[in-house]
Amino acid sequence: MDFDLENPLTDLHDDYFDSVTSLFLIESDHMPSQNYFLTLQHGDFDISVRREAIASVSQFSCNFDPLVSYLAVNYIDRFLSRHGMLQPKQWILKLLAISCVSLAAKMNKIEFSLTDFQFDGGMIFDPQTIQRMEFLILGALKWRMRSITAFSFVSFFISLSKLEDPPLLQALKARATEIIFNAQNDTKLLVFKPSIIAACALLHASHELFPLQYPCFRKALSSCSYVNKENMLKCYNAMQAIVLEGYEFVFEALSSSVTPVNVLDQQFSSSENKSNHTSTVTTATTTLRLEKGIKKRKISGY
Amino acid sequence: MDMYEKLEKVGEGTYGKVYKAKDKATGQLVALKKTKLEMDEEGIPPTALREVSLLQMLSQSLYVVRLLCVEHVDSRKLVDGKPKPVLYLVFEYLDTDLKKFIDSHRKGQNPRPLPPTQIQSFLYQLCKGVAHCHSHGVLHRDLKPQNLLLDKDRGILKIADLGLGRAFTVPLKSYTHEIVTLWYRAPEVLLGSTHYSTGVDMWSVGCIFAEMVRRQALFPGDSEFQQLLHIFRLLGTPTEKQWPGVTSLRDWHVYPQWEPQNLARAVPSLGPEGIDLLSNMLKYDPAERISAKAALDHPYFDSLDKSQF
Repeated sequence: MDFDLENPLTDLHDDYFDSVTSLFLIESDHMPSQNYFLTLQHGDFDISVRREAIASVSQFSCNFDPLVSYLAVNYIDRFLSRHGMLQPKQWILKLLAISCVSLAAKMNKIEFSLTDFQFDGGMIFDPQTIQRMEFLILGALKWRMRSITAFSFVSFFISLSKLEDPPLLQALKARATEIIFNAQNDTKLLVFKPSIIAACALLHASHELFPLQYPCFRKALSSCSYVNKENMLKCYNAMQAIVLEGYEFVFEALSSSVTPVNVLDQQFSSSENKSNHTSTVTTATTTLRLEKGIKKRKISGY
Repeated sequence: MDMYEKLEKVGEGTYGKVYKAKDKATGQLVALKKTKLEMDEEGIPPTALREVSLLQMLSQSLYVVRLLCVEHVDSRKLVDGKPKPVLYLVFEYLDTDLKKFIDSHRKGQNPRPLPPTQIQSFLYQLCKGVAHCHSHGVLHRDLKPQNLLLDKDRGILKIADLGLGRAFTVPLKSYTHEIVTLWYRAPEVLLGSTHYSTGVDMWSVGCIFAEMVRRQALFPGDSEFQQLLHIFRLLGTPTEKQWPGVTSLRDWHVYPQWEPQNLARAVPSLGPEGIDLLSNMLKYDPAERISAKAALDHPYFDSLDKSQF
């Protein structure tokens, strides 16, 4: 009955595969609309609203499990999608971020106090204001707070792979998790269903880690009746940039641990070990990379 | 809440009132369940948040009463100078329940048994709904004919009043004013077991099955002790051999030694397959009791056209 992002429906494991079918049927209820995706694609203004809200989420949830911030961002996207874009006023975005983090933490049974969020530059919201915002979000999301996300499908898709060795499975899952976290920041991927994101993240991970098993795994995923092959291909390609970034990430972390280029790099690689998915970290690397004069890539807004 | 016109109060439970109401725009009838929220220094109370969102997810099943929406209003009464938040859970409204349905076949001008195919269909839907809840890790804990709402025209049965957790646990005595009944309570609960599981609901399903056939309750006890005696008289006093650990349960006492009776005599009109399913639902050892999912595959349902579900 507890809420688990990886298993939102059930905690009785023998029934997992029965209920996974229903996940595929209702996952669309838990994602932002097509329209939201288009708005973000065509307006820099909206992207900056989203980016700012996500940055606040990272700030407010830095002491929590990364899944809390992932869930909070899922709420933000679904809220903005239903409610329409908010005014880019800082306090509104902060209030939205605090309320989404608060809801996500409560769903995950995490003990916290709203006063923990009040450390930022004198912006203080009383509990009633936050509660009002929480209700506004709940209304917009129709109280569907047990979000079905990419994480809900990871175990199911892994079971389709031929891998059996627990350490290998763990490595595959860990890398896919990393990709899913990063994928959330990329607006290009918002259009894909959570199950497609999960399938592609696992495919990329298997391509990196177990290239020999990759073709077989790919075939297994493509023949899964719930997976739209065309969308999977599109998503796989769109994910490429994120995965490459991940490579550079690992590479930079490795090289910086040998010969630290500067203090920031050091910090970054140590935070990488704990959690490498908060958007602040990504922002830091992006800036760093630009500063270092490495080829200027267009970083898609998140 | 201006969208709804309250028609009448249909129930009142520990946690709030239940109203029959009409959606002004569409004319649709709904059941409004009013729940006061404890105002918290931390925004919306976490248990209410988790329970309502779980209910929202469970009610996606055809066999669970649908939660149409949740409305939040601040009551006009101020507590410590602040308005107290109130939640209205808006459910689809069904005008009858299995208790009324069985009663209508026992009493009145035209007493008659429930058609066997009707019993079969209702039991199947009940098992479907219970399997759905159990697969989400949710026990109902208080299944009884009053909590099974019927759409008579379409022959659909839906589970209502899911007991989820703290805030909504003690199920509202919705639609009726009856005292909480013990008739459907599993023996492990009556004997004070604290580690009970999905078996408690299957016991209730068994009692409800028998009641549809008999048109009267199988074990109509009026106290916890009497309830146990009713069970023991029919099924025999349980032994350690049948049910390992039973004599160590908290409320176990020494009881008269009854021999098991022939279950078929309690439900004379039920065929052998029905008897077999019923006896598997009424196993003393909760671990041996049939699960809702397995019950769906029982031969008793072989003659049922499952394509309609």
